[in-house]
Amino acid sequence: MAKGKYPINIWVNEERYEKLQKAGLSGMCEEMLAGLKVIRVYANDPQRDKILKVFPTAKFDSATTKSIELLPRDVKDKIFSVVIDKESVDILDDFLSAY
Amino acid sequence: MSETGHGGKEIKERIMEPSEAAKRIKGLTEVPIRSQIANEVIDISYGFFTPLEGFMGKADVDSVCKNMKLADGTVWSIPILFDLSEGEVADYGVKEGVSLLLTYGGNPMAIFEVEEIFDYDKKAMCQDVYGTDEDKHPGCARTYEYKDKFIGGKITLVNRPKINPPYDPYFIPPLEMRKAFKEKGWERVVAHQTRNVPHTGHEWLMKGAWFQSYAELTIEKPLVGVLVNAIIGAKRKGDYIDEAIILTQDELRKSGYFGDHNHLTSLTFWDMRYAGPREAIFHAMLRTNLGLSHHMYGRDHAGVGTYYGAYDAHHLLASVQDDLDITPVYSMNWLFCPHCGEITSEGLCNHRDEWQKFSGTLIRSIVQDGVKPPRLIFRPEVFDLVLECADKYGFGSPFVTDEYLEKRIPVFEIPPM
Repeated sequence: MAKGKYPINIWVNEERYEKLQKAGLSGMCEEMLAGLKVIRVYANDPQRDKILKVFPTAKFDSATTKSIELLPRDVKDKIFSVVIDKESVDILDDFLSAY
Repeated sequence: MSETGHGGKEIKERIMEPSEAAKRIKGLTEVPIRSQIANEVIDISYGFFTPLEGFMGKADVDSVCKNMKLADGTVWSIPILFDLSEGEVADYGVKEGVSLLLTYGGNPMAIFEVEEIFDYDKKAMCQDVYGTDEDKHPGCARTYEYKDKFIGGKITLVNRPKINPPYDPYFIPPLEMRKAFKEKGWERVVAHQTRNVPHTGHEWLMKGAWFQSYAELTIEKPLVGVLVNAIIGAKRKGDYIDEAIILTQDELRKSGYFGDHNHLTSLTFWDMRYAGPREAIFHAMLRTNLGLSHHMYGRDHAGVGTYYGAYDAHHLLASVQDDLDITPVYSMNWLFCPHCGEITSEGLCNHRDEWQKFSGTLIRSIVQDGVKPPRLIFRPEVFDLVLECADKYGFGSPFVTDEYLEKRIPVFEIPPM
């Protein structure tokens, strides 16, 4: 996948951090906003458009953060699971193939 | 002493004494109204919409659309309309000179003195007010939903709304608000328009506007306040629930990020039109009536999608500034700079490559993921209260769901007479 411009921020709570640690992937986390842990999965233009179409609650924050936000939590959980399985953040093609 | 509102007109409540009201409503044809109209009946009756005394007639609507002024020349940016279908006009016997009894929730609310029945081209109205006639613009969609006949005439409230908890302390109509400002000794008050739970970017918007408004005033005693005026009206799925919005805004004061000496939270009933620049003018008029001296405006004020430029509202405000009695305070974005280790303004900090911008949408996304944001970004008291509101009012969610829309506590009710 071309490294796209639009991140999906998977905010890492304790439960997610524990899973990352178990998989030896805690180094994948970035820190944002005064220490908040996040995994950023990037979408390119077609992927972004598909996400916004498939998940109507999602919003592209064009004004401030240029990120894709407000995906339902269970969808983020699924994306997070694929990240763990593939040990990579380059997973959107795989994830979106089911939709 | 009289109070002067928008357009230099006196603020007069149009509310009838209960004993007189009971007599006057006898025999009137009852017309049920929906929540948008009930909101506007309250706004007219309590003087939020001064100088309006009722729903607009065609001359006012036409002048508002084309010139952004009432027919008498007073600046006004958004038509205030009462609509009925042709069938309803016939069924209710609506004609000029007739008085109707508007009911809400089955109970008497207001007398409507019909002065005029007219048609208006909704598409042209959309183009004038919203700058587009696309039905995907929420303001246009609302306009297209109006029925085909518009009725102009004066409104008099005959039955005061009962504001339900937890909203009741926050309904402070114009005359009462002005009294509250005098009691606090505030010489200047700056409005913070919101439909959001506050993150620290909002908090600093308010603090920055407080500094800007304070300007040359003396500092021996507090002379400037921030009024949070939350817009309470139609909700969309995914918005924060109203209870969370109003209570968390006030929590900033209760938790000491502000204090009684400089912060007050209130609400206004209004279904947002997302008219961008024209809604900015509308907010200026509304807050003038509430007694404010200053009004905060950020980027893309009250806009939606990509319909308006970031500073279109500022330009429109400047074009009518001489006709407004409120001073705009323009706010730059606040952000987190890890280098500074603090929230700072994009107009101050020069660590541009390190800036971490955040928005209400981003914070909603964090909360939705079940993560507690750092206190520099989102106050812990606010976060805890959001979760409490989810349990207490939101059926488990701090965001609007179908269940919330169906079962929520009504903000107000009209009691039986």
